[in-house]
Amino acid sequence: MRPPRHRQLLAALLALCVTAAPPASAQDVMIFAAASLKTALDGVAAAWSAETGSEAVVSYAASSALARQIEAGAPADVFISADLDWMDYLASWGLIDPDTRRTLLSNRIVLIAAGTDAPPVEIAPGFGLAALLGEGRLAMADVDAVPAGRYGKAALETLGVWGNVESRIAETENVRAALAFVALGEAPYGIVYATDANAEDNVTIVGTFPEDSHPPIRYPVALTADTANPAAADFLEFLGAAPARALFEAQGFTVLDPTDADAHAG
Amino acid sequence: MPTLTPDEWQALALSLKVSFWATALSLPVGLLTALVLARGTFRGKSILNGLVHLPLILPPVVTGYLLLLTFGRRGPVGAFLDANFGIVFSFRWTGAALAAAVMAFPLMVRAIRLSIEAVDARLEDAAGTLGANRLWTFVIVTLPLILPGVIAGAILAFAKAMGEFGATITFVSSIPGETRTLPAAIYGYTQVPGGQPQAMRLTLIAVAVAMTALIASEFVARRVARRIRDG
Repeated sequence: MRPPRHRQLLAALLALCVTAAPPASAQDVMIFAAASLKTALDGVAAAWSAETGSEAVVSYAASSALARQIEAGAPADVFISADLDWMDYLASWGLIDPDTRRTLLSNRIVLIAAGTDAPPVEIAPGFGLAALLGEGRLAMADVDAVPAGRYGKAALETLGVWGNVESRIAETENVRAALAFVALGEAPYGIVYATDANAEDNVTIVGTFPEDSHPPIRYPVALTADTANPAAADFLEFLGAAPARALFEAQGFTVLDPTDADAHAG
Repeated sequence: MPTLTPDEWQALALSLKVSFWATALSLPVGLLTALVLARGTFRGKSILNGLVHLPLILPPVVTGYLLLLTFGRRGPVGAFLDANFGIVFSFRWTGAALAAAVMAFPLMVRAIRLSIEAVDARLEDAAGTLGANRLWTFVIVTLPLILPGVIAGAILAFAKAMGEFGATITFVSSIPGETRTLPAAIYGYTQVPGGQPQAMRLTLIAVAVAMTALIASEFVARRVARRIRDG
């Protein structure tokens, strides 16, 4: 027969499994945010919690994945997308509260290289990206689905170099994974947001894509249609307040004024 | 019956190629490992057992990341293989096969090990008393007895390799025709607005392939078992 000591250990382990992870309380604000926001939004969420005493839980992933999860009934209170399309997609299904929607941030896409001392690259129509890559790969987020990849593809098409590099692209499921491939030196170059490049020490920004080479990069925010959390609206408000603004700008985002944002919301 | 688009064919053919090589090349290693784990008595056996099972327990993303750090262009093993043998895994289908092989390895070893442990040692002893050496005994007595387990292990590994996603996309990303396997293509379609129909078509293909592999495994294992029984 099994010694009772073992049974106690087993019971203790089971108890640990059941109790160890307290479930997110109903009062926590659940934010679904594009992966590119991670560094800045972590700071903003912490600042908001410190000020209000409420908890904010942020789930980061590609905007596309998050939109699909909200569509499937995920318990998000706030959605921050990295492009207008996925916000429009949820709006078309009535899954966000249209009155709360506004455009919060804008960003730039940049060409990054592995290492800390890569020489700059002049990004102009027909620039020699294929020659730079050689046998290496260009790391990008999925060019059909993920906003960062779509902006990058649009920019390369505008500049007339997409056809030269199309077969050399390593696509990832979100933009931070593309950043990681370059930071590890696995891919010599990558296209990510300026804010991603600022968050990573092991890559160099070698060029910034002209703003008119791709659709404007806008981050719309909105409450979800299903949210029943009164603190969610407060969090949404806080995103545009001075402390949050400073944190976003430190990471390289441009915070759009409400009037300015409305002009772009389209 | 609806025909497959070129993209769908590409993903399916690539998945079959990756899974085939992942299974074929890991089978000898899997057989040896199973033999050592079933029969061997040595210090560190539980550590070997743990290492073999690690990919089953770790999140696939972690396995993929460890593969990237080890077998990537700048990883210690990856750089060595590239410099000395010209073998490159990063962003190649060979890397997808490596990831699939590592993820499927525990399942293969478990199936083979169980069948080795079920072998009646007296049969092998009898072969020994009749003058067969240990290697010959293994080939003419043990191997035929464990064949159903080996086949089941190989098919299970193949099916697991067909479905591998997390480690693959972390290690070698998603490159059409090179590393975009069936699961990666399905994931890609689910991330495009309006991509559900394509995702659903590929999902049905994946289900069909997996079911075929499992039914084939049952069928083959039963046939082999009957052949052994009837002598």
